[in-house]
Amino acid sequence: MKSIWKNYKTDIAYDELMYSECQSRPVSHILCQYLNSLKKEDIDKRKIAAELAIMEMGISFTVYSDEGNIDRAWPFDIIPRIIDAREWRIIDKGLKQRLTALNCFISDVYGEQAFIKEGKMPGDIINSSKNFRKECIGMKPRHNVWANICGTDLVRDRDSIMYVLEDNLRVPSGVSYMLENRVITKRVFPELLQDIDILPIDDYPTHLHDMLSSIAPHQNGKITCAVLTPGIYNSAYFEHAYLAQQIGAQLVEGKDLVVNDDDCVYMRTIEGLDKVDVIYRRIDDDFLDPEVFRKDSTLGVRGLMRAWKAGNVALANAPGAGVADDKVVYAYVPEMIRYYLNEEPILPNVPTFLCSKKDDLDYVLAHLAELVVKPANESGGYGMLVGPHATAKEVETFRALIQKDPRNYIAQPTLAISTAPTLCKGRLEPRHIDLRPFILQGENTFVTSGGLTRVALRKGSLVVNSSQGGGSKDTWIINMEDR
Amino acid sequence: MLSRSAERLYWLARYLERTENIARMVSVHMNLLMDLPKGVEMGWRQLILINTSEQEFYEKNNVANERNITRFLLVDASYSGSLFSSLSAARENIRTSRELLPDEAWEQVNEMYLYVKSNLETVANRRHRVIFLNEILKGCQRFTGLLSGYMSHNHPYRFILLGRNIERADMTSRILDLASLLLSESRSDEMRQYETILWMNVLKALNALLMYRQQMRSRVEGDDVLNFMLLDTSLPRSVSCCISEISYCISRLPNNDKLPLKLNELQAYVQAIDTRQTTQKQLRGILDSLQNKLGELHGQIVENWFLQEAGD
Repeated sequence: MKSIWKNYKTDIAYDELMYSECQSRPVSHILCQYLNSLKKEDIDKRKIAAELAIMEMGISFTVYSDEGNIDRAWPFDIIPRIIDAREWRIIDKGLKQRLTALNCFISDVYGEQAFIKEGKMPGDIINSSKNFRKECIGMKPRHNVWANICGTDLVRDRDSIMYVLEDNLRVPSGVSYMLENRVITKRVFPELLQDIDILPIDDYPTHLHDMLSSIAPHQNGKITCAVLTPGIYNSAYFEHAYLAQQIGAQLVEGKDLVVNDDDCVYMRTIEGLDKVDVIYRRIDDDFLDPEVFRKDSTLGVRGLMRAWKAGNVALANAPGAGVADDKVVYAYVPEMIRYYLNEEPILPNVPTFLCSKKDDLDYVLAHLAELVVKPANESGGYGMLVGPHATAKEVETFRALIQKDPRNYIAQPTLAISTAPTLCKGRLEPRHIDLRPFILQGENTFVTSGGLTRVALRKGSLVVNSSQGGGSKDTWIINMEDR
Repeated sequence: MLSRSAERLYWLARYLERTENIARMVSVHMNLLMDLPKGVEMGWRQLILINTSEQEFYEKNNVANERNITRFLLVDASYSGSLFSSLSAARENIRTSRELLPDEAWEQVNEMYLYVKSNLETVANRRHRVIFLNEILKGCQRFTGLLSGYMSHNHPYRFILLGRNIERADMTSRILDLASLLLSESRSDEMRQYETILWMNVLKALNALLMYRQQMRSRVEGDDVLNFMLLDTSLPRSVSCCISEISYCISRLPNNDKLPLKLNELQAYVQAIDTRQTTQKQLRGILDSLQNKLGELHGQIVENWFLQEAGD
């Protein structure tokens, strides 16, 4: 192998593309051959071309800082992450199974609560969940689906098994980066893409549009969809605008919408008020409607919950869907699959200790230095303790936090999450990655072919979030059968 | 179409038109000064007179020389009328309206912005400035071209046309205003000697020299230039043509109210101007009042389509 691979280490964790410094896995044979055929300068040129494309396409995310909001270019690694289509088919099935069960669970939580009544889960978990919205009790969204758009984070451990790390059922983001990553790869490696049978991903907006149409309150005539964004200063504003454009929806802010006495939602247009049927909202429940949730919210729309409950507008995801986006509830998903679907889970959970349980709590407190501790309701990788990487002081801080509010913490063994070759200063080095596929559920269920691979660009880091030094890679699901 | 989106597109077009106009004016002016002998009363100061930004300029600079004026007009981020400020504002407006426009439109504006941002220092040098201005002019034309080729001529497109033409009519009248100064009786003999060159440059600043020649088939005369730029109904940058475009857009927009009528009046007002019959002072009065009328028109557009209060 050539010098870009020099000293490539595959003993840190399972490597997605390489067996060893000199041997590629079958899925990455062609890629590696191709990379080896390039001169080092060529690879650098392509990296520069990718960076230029990102700047010109304006693919960015916003970072908040003392100097104001900065639009930062999306960090992208040009070396793709590759998964065999045969493995993907199983993951695809597993993801559909999981979201179906989760939606059954949410319906049940706001309905009869049979899962709890039959002793499958302590009722306290729901009652103490800050994402349980009592305002939603008794609601029946179309197709009984509450979480229409889900981003599920998968990681592969040393044992080569893909585990579900978490289900993001509130306002998962990242799908636009998944789509744009492919556009960039096509620009950067056009020769390569021609020779490999990669499953396409650009049908996502079509499926998103179909899903949103399928949940509209009426099914006759033209359906008006809107994407509700918190506004231009939100870190995912780029994505909101991108998706609205891709599905031909209006991109609206709270102040563009009004709920009238007829409990219908209208947008303010140049022709006057225009009725809205479906809202793909990218605002958290808390800010959705100052009439019901946070009174000080200026992002939401007064009366939106009224309109939703009257069945005059569909909201995706439905308010209250976040109740299943709780790391304590997560621990019960395998049981949900058995209970609601009478099936065995296809995708395993990461073993999870619930600090609300006495035995688990004792174990966690005794093994803090080995475990990853997460608050039940945070996203974006905030407020976590990674035991093996933490200082003694940090461990003690978490000990106090957990003891104070055990319900709000879970712990998991520290996984050796898999690595993939990543271009670092002209050489390939292993970096830890995860995968976020996106699942749509309305009348039908759809899973993206692959998803967004996030990569921790800092050496040794396990944190892949873009706000904390993470980047991303294009994800290829490739057909190996004809080979 | 959302009122807020309509407003953003309208401003996007105004700011981009302004960007292009500034680039063209500076570029033409540079050429003009290269033709004129040293010591003629035509200098760089004229450029800040057009934008009525003299006061702001002198707050920041002592001398109205080439270096200071081009920096002020092109890359001064703290002056809201500079090319860089206009382009930044255009970019902010398109960044927040991406769902309405083809991807390429955003990429084009973004590319120009990135180009200007990384070339702020180069405009001090004449040769680099020429390249810089050419890039901007080409970029603006690409934007116009790709919208007309890629975008449905729908309401969003009409608001873009509306913004572009109001800004354009305003700029044409400002350039003519300045040029009319050159007609003043007090001009020196030396100035009279270069008059044709000056008027040719006015036409160039408005991208109208070739069309003028084809239409007039005679040498360039001040009165004719003024008439042509005000009244010609087919030249894109003439005031009359801008008003026709505005009329056309407005007649196809919903809730246009009494605006079509007002535009008929405005067109009639313009068509009644005859520069051969007016003194220089009268002409300046006419152009002033024209700019005011355009300002009123802008106010009515805002009222009609952009302001939508709760509960209506």
